[in-house]
Amino acid sequence: MTYEPRQISASAAQPPRAVGHAVLAVKKTEAGSGIDRLRSSGALKLLFPRRQNAVEALLINTAGGVTGGDQLHLQATVGAGANLCLTTQAAERAYRAQADIGRVSSHLQVGPGACLHWLPQELIVFEGAAFHRQLHIDMADDARLLLVEPIIFGRAAMGETLQAAQFFDQISINRAGQPLYHDAIRLSGAIQQQLNHPAVAAGGTAMACVVYVAPDAAARVAQIRAGLPATGGASLLGPDMLVVRLVAPDGFGLRQYLLPLLDQLSGNTLPVSWRL
Amino acid sequence: MITPMTTATITPTDTGLLTLAQWLGPGFPIGAFAFSHGLETAIASGWVHDGPSLHSWLGDLLHHGSGRGDAIWVWAAIAATDAGALAQLHALARARMPAAERLREGEMQGAAFARLVRQVWGLDLPDMLLPLAVGRAVALSGLPQDQAVALYLQGFVANLVSAAVRLVPLGQTTGQQVLAALAPTCAQIAAETRGLGPDDIYSNSFLADVAAMRHETQEPRLFQS
Repeated sequence: MTYEPRQISASAAQPPRAVGHAVLAVKKTEAGSGIDRLRSSGALKLLFPRRQNAVEALLINTAGGVTGGDQLHLQATVGAGANLCLTTQAAERAYRAQADIGRVSSHLQVGPGACLHWLPQELIVFEGAAFHRQLHIDMADDARLLLVEPIIFGRAAMGETLQAAQFFDQISINRAGQPLYHDAIRLSGAIQQQLNHPAVAAGGTAMACVVYVAPDAAARVAQIRAGLPATGGASLLGPDMLVVRLVAPDGFGLRQYLLPLLDQLSGNTLPVSWRL
Repeated sequence: MITPMTTATITPTDTGLLTLAQWLGPGFPIGAFAFSHGLETAIASGWVHDGPSLHSWLGDLLHHGSGRGDAIWVWAAIAATDAGALAQLHALARARMPAAERLREGEMQGAAFARLVRQVWGLDLPDMLLPLAVGRAVALSGLPQDQAVALYLQGFVANLVSAAVRLVPLGQTTGQQVLAALAPTCAQIAAETRGLGPDDIYSNSFLADVAAMRHETQEPRLFQS
């Protein structure tokens, strides 16, 4: 039941592949946080909406989505005492792959006393997609983090369910060089059929995980739990680490619970792009 | 008259296999009966309510969830060459835990297992999460590895079947039917995961993780996870 994207020979016509690379560093300034370094090339662009007390960076994939063979890489550094919020302009799309795998990787560093909000909007996995994603975060001992990764399997509005696709996702968060939270998903083949199982998603097509690392995590857990449906759970995995896993029938149902939760955990600083 | 023994047909039972059966069977007092791995919540939520839904739930854990992950941790601990490598595995395994009670479940059973194996077999076995403690003990004793991983998985699902028999409730026969049907899966996953390491671990069982999280506040409850 595994699904492998079609391999095409080197002699066959290669469709143009999107490649994008961005490097961003922010630092603490007298006024709050500012851009220290910025370089971007190819399909990955960054916009910076005005915001107080933090740098907000809006990731834009100018290719409009990721297909087979595409490669996007982001590297971001939040300097000591600085605040960075990274989000996306819209939902990211993992399109049907004609051949090869689309790869997106992000490597984020959060320095001493710094704070990172990693708040991309939904990833929509299309039928036929072959998409591998990696997110690695290195945190300093006293750094803070709010992370969300919402995923929608198939375009429900078009009646699409995933019958043949491949989606591999990996999140690794290390703190002071030690593993803090690691998670990976590998769905392949008739994904919707697997999502229908009771231990997986009981027929749901949308899922999100949220990780919150901050000194007040323990004080937040009761309020977060109270706002979750029966298909959502929250757990305090350490004195300062809260993890949420949420399954919903569709993307709309996911947002219904995710937006208030992210409002709470971000202190009502959820980027405007989430509301458009 | 004494019948001459036909020694060629007598195969002494492998005592290594008996040691594994003792360690990984339901009688080994590591407190497994106190943990439901979130299944108590799945049953209270109506997600698991009969033999087929229990079979589906446990099959997903074995194929795409914590069962497969634990098998890899057992193999990784078997392959670990020194205390430093084991300590690194322990840190990685802790970071993979999706919920606080699942961490506690692995820690408490692992500590009880290590203490017993130290006291009874005299092995130098540190307290670790259960699959790592089992893997290290297997390596230190030179016990058969494939059987160890398969028996570990069967012990894992047998404990959850036993919990479901009490909680749903299910008939004992139904419980044993589910367990028997999962035996080939236990053997298959044990074989498939040989040689794999922490980077090969994944979990697609989202609602099993949610159930483990929700169990923390479930009332009333009989189990500690």
